[in-house]
Amino acid sequence: MTRERKAGSARQDAVANEAMIHLDHLYRVAFHLAKDPADAEDLVQETFVRALAAHEQFDPGTNMKAWLTKILHNFFFDHYRRSKRWVSEEDGTQPESENWRRLTDPNQGPESQVLRKELDEQITQVLRKIPEEFRAPIVLVDMGDFSYEEVASILSCPVGTIRSRLSRGRKLMQQNLKTYVGSESRKVAQK
Amino acid sequence: MTCQEAQELITALVDRELVGSERGLLESHLQDCPSCRLAVEHERLVKQTLRERAERIQAPAGLRARLLSDRRIFPEKTGTRWQDYLWPKAHLARPALAAALLLAIVLPAVFFFKAGKEPVATTALESYDLFRKGALSVHRTENPNEVVEQLTRAVGGHFHPMGYDLAAMQLQPVAGFVQEIQGRKILVAIYQGQGGTLFCYTFFGSEEDAPGNAARFYDPAKKMNFYAFSRGGLNAVLHREGEIICVLASEMPMDELLALARSKARPS
Repeated sequence: MTRERKAGSARQDAVANEAMIHLDHLYRVAFHLAKDPADAEDLVQETFVRALAAHEQFDPGTNMKAWLTKILHNFFFDHYRRSKRWVSEEDGTQPESENWRRLTDPNQGPESQVLRKELDEQITQVLRKIPEEFRAPIVLVDMGDFSYEEVASILSCPVGTIRSRLSRGRKLMQQNLKTYVGSESRKVAQK
Repeated sequence: MTCQEAQELITALVDRELVGSERGLLESHLQDCPSCRLAVEHERLVKQTLRERAERIQAPAGLRARLLSDRRIFPEKTGTRWQDYLWPKAHLARPALAAALLLAIVLPAVFFFKAGKEPVATTALESYDLFRKGALSVHRTENPNEVVEQLTRAVGGHFHPMGYDLAAMQLQPVAGFVQEIQGRKILVAIYQGQGGTLFCYTFFGSEEDAPGNAARFYDPAKKMNFYAFSRGGLNAVLHREGEIICVLASEMPMDELLALARSKARPS
């Protein structure tokens, strides 16, 4: 193996190792973009393959999490445009949100854990009902901890657009989670 | 400012992205507008709920293994590169490397010597003993995920360390290495912090790997057995998750260690 090839291999190794640190984050984003967990796994794997194929484009010391997320997002949309296989669920069904109120019970016993699981499922369903243009900023800011500027770069649109889409997206989330948000905010008001 | 105009600014305020004159304008509007103050609370709650939900989503172990065995991502190497992570690199610390090389020779010798006398779970604790005596050098990392990733790679993704989050015990994963006893690879994750030191050993096995003199505890809620045993002032608790055996070892009192193992163990 030549010195250049060795250096290239070491570099790829370094990028792959660093990328693995962001696996949970990438899976979270994929989980909310793709239609089901199996698709989310495929999406993450393809993201890794593409990122490693282009590892020389990554500038060490820069934001790898944002770089990987952009690759994932671009791939999702390229694929989405072609096959529509990963279409989001945008039917108008209202989620059953009665259980959310019960989650405020401070008892963290088994029942609470079951309700927590139900809550997680509800959030996933509600997120999938929100149009993609509003969902992506929510997933990236609220679940991915990105700044507006980073999200603007990942989604290739102005910061102002991110802000307005987030605002509308959160409003949609709120409407779908009305019972839960209402009961929790009453508690806040009582404090 | 109208409530409609305030809406987007509330979003930015909740995200700590609102600065300058816009922030001043919104704050003065909020002083006079109870419904917008409530809107701030609602939006904070939505954000918090989503954040908490995100924290509960983790990549499945199967996906992790898939990536680690995908040669387009991790090309096959000649030699055993994972050993780089077991011992300090020469350019970082030559004396440490020399000590590490010595250990690389000594450790297997110790383990093989005792292999026939003691169960694997007991023999494995020798590495903890060496570590607390300062006789075991490891490559430390500040990145907890790196420990899991490197250990998983060391066994070709066939299994992975338990990766327990022990932050509540003020323990963070700081290093990892692979121990081989009787031809069996054991992944060792070292946790350290204000809570002291804890080793988490992970390997393929069965409950027969528990020492014969271990005290068995049955957890009816999780329907799992836990085996408690001690060796040279060290306490250890073994349990099984599927085909994987986990041994937590520490100098903390046995009842605390047992409680920790029970709280973290995942029923198969």
